[in-house]
Amino acid sequence: MNEHTVKSFDQELQLLDKKVAQMGGLAERLLAHAFDALERRDPKLAENTVASDRAVDQLERELQEQTILMIARRQPMANDLRHIMTVLKIAGDLERIGDLAKNIAKRALAVSGESHPKPLMTGLKHMVELALHQLKDVLDAYAELDADKALGVWRQDERIDAMYNSIFRELLTYMMEDPRNIGLCTHLLFGAKNIERVGDHTTNIAENVYYLVHGTTLTDDRPKGDDTSSTLIRKE
Amino acid sequence: MNVAMVNVPQVDRVASDKVGLRERISIRKLDFYYGEGQALKAISLPLYDRKVTAFIGPSGCGKSTLLRVLNRMYDLYPNQRAEGEVLFDGANILAPKQDLNLLRSRIGMVFQKPTPFPMTIYDNIAFGIRLYERLSKSDVDGRVEESLKRAGLWNEVKDKLQANGLSLSGGQQQRLCIARTVAVRPEVILLDEPCSALDPISTAKIEELIEELKADYTIVIVTHNMQQAARVSEFTAFMYLGELIEFGDTQKIFTTPNDSRTQDYITGRFG
Repeated sequence: MNEHTVKSFDQELQLLDKKVAQMGGLAERLLAHAFDALERRDPKLAENTVASDRAVDQLERELQEQTILMIARRQPMANDLRHIMTVLKIAGDLERIGDLAKNIAKRALAVSGESHPKPLMTGLKHMVELALHQLKDVLDAYAELDADKALGVWRQDERIDAMYNSIFRELLTYMMEDPRNIGLCTHLLFGAKNIERVGDHTTNIAENVYYLVHGTTLTDDRPKGDDTSSTLIRKE
Repeated sequence: MNVAMVNVPQVDRVASDKVGLRERISIRKLDFYYGEGQALKAISLPLYDRKVTAFIGPSGCGKSTLLRVLNRMYDLYPNQRAEGEVLFDGANILAPKQDLNLLRSRIGMVFQKPTPFPMTIYDNIAFGIRLYERLSKSDVDGRVEESLKRAGLWNEVKDKLQANGLSLSGGQQQRLCIARTVAVRPEVILLDEPCSALDPISTAKIEELIEELKADYTIVIVTHNMQQAARVSEFTAFMYLGELIEFGDTQKIFTTPNDSRTQDYITGRFG
């Protein structure tokens, strides 16, 4: 793309992208660490993870301030306007992802003394790996302005939903088998839900990247696989 | 052959499918020459009734030339000629038999620099009316008041109608010129960078005025201020080097233009 006649405008846009990349990297790390802390029952790592969410919040504030200033100062048009608005929205989604990761870390602290059933943790691990992979892809799609890649991420979210469904059912079974599992399983269930929500924020980002590139919004209904909201718990 | 269809690829015709849009002026295959030099190249463009259309583009792109063709201002200069058609309610205004006085009473123009006549505020407006119509003194009085009200200037000048028009501030002078244009009851108003010499408050007043005037008039505005074009117009034409690059819904042009040259221009990446 051609450069702006006013060079500092380009520099400001580059700075936005740099911060989005930085914030995205931080959010990825936060989620990975939160899950490690849960899996390894590592309270120290969990505490550190909770603390590092502040850096994500700080970056969101900076991006918000910068985008507002740029709108006031540059009165951006066309792709510049879409670029700046997209940054503002992505920052919001990344901040939420940071919060969800922090929440997993807090739950890791709460259950660090309990032993975790292995098969459950394997399922959760796959889920978080897929969520991290999706997050990485969508951040790449943003950096490369690759709408097709963003569309791929958008479609893939269904897989995270499917995993969440099966974990939901598994956890229900554990709880029904032995009420002493309820405490742990509830935390794990919320953890799984958090990861599923990370997937939703990731698809939001994908939608925004698509809009940034094409100037049109994705209007199709996204394939959704999470049917747990309508699942009834029945003891057989 | 349907001449209007020739340039279809560059004109977003989807707009004209909208309900209630009527083409008031149809510019068709318009070429314009300053002596040997060609300033406009095969411009085809609709101007819709009671809508504001903005012409944007870098200096020298031909937007003011195009505006000047619309009321045949170029006739005042030798060696300038237009070819093609400009249909106003179906009649070609470029035809030699066109009555220029009549044309200019139907298509009024306001210039970049306020140009009040060196006479009283009252006479600035009455002068134009008397050129075209024979009205009684009280009718002229009424028309002067009505025009000044339409231009949002009445409250500021009603007690000093006999003061010299040149004694007004720049913004007031420009509104006086708009009142003068409105007084002869035109159908189309051409505004050639009407705010470029005005402060932000006067500019806002003119923009508010455009908003009100479009209920009754077809308005064309040439502006270098992109935000102004985005604010006041429903349709925008982007011109470059004498050609029409893109025409369409203002909303679309300023968010997702089709042509990369339009995008480069409105985002400040040109050249």
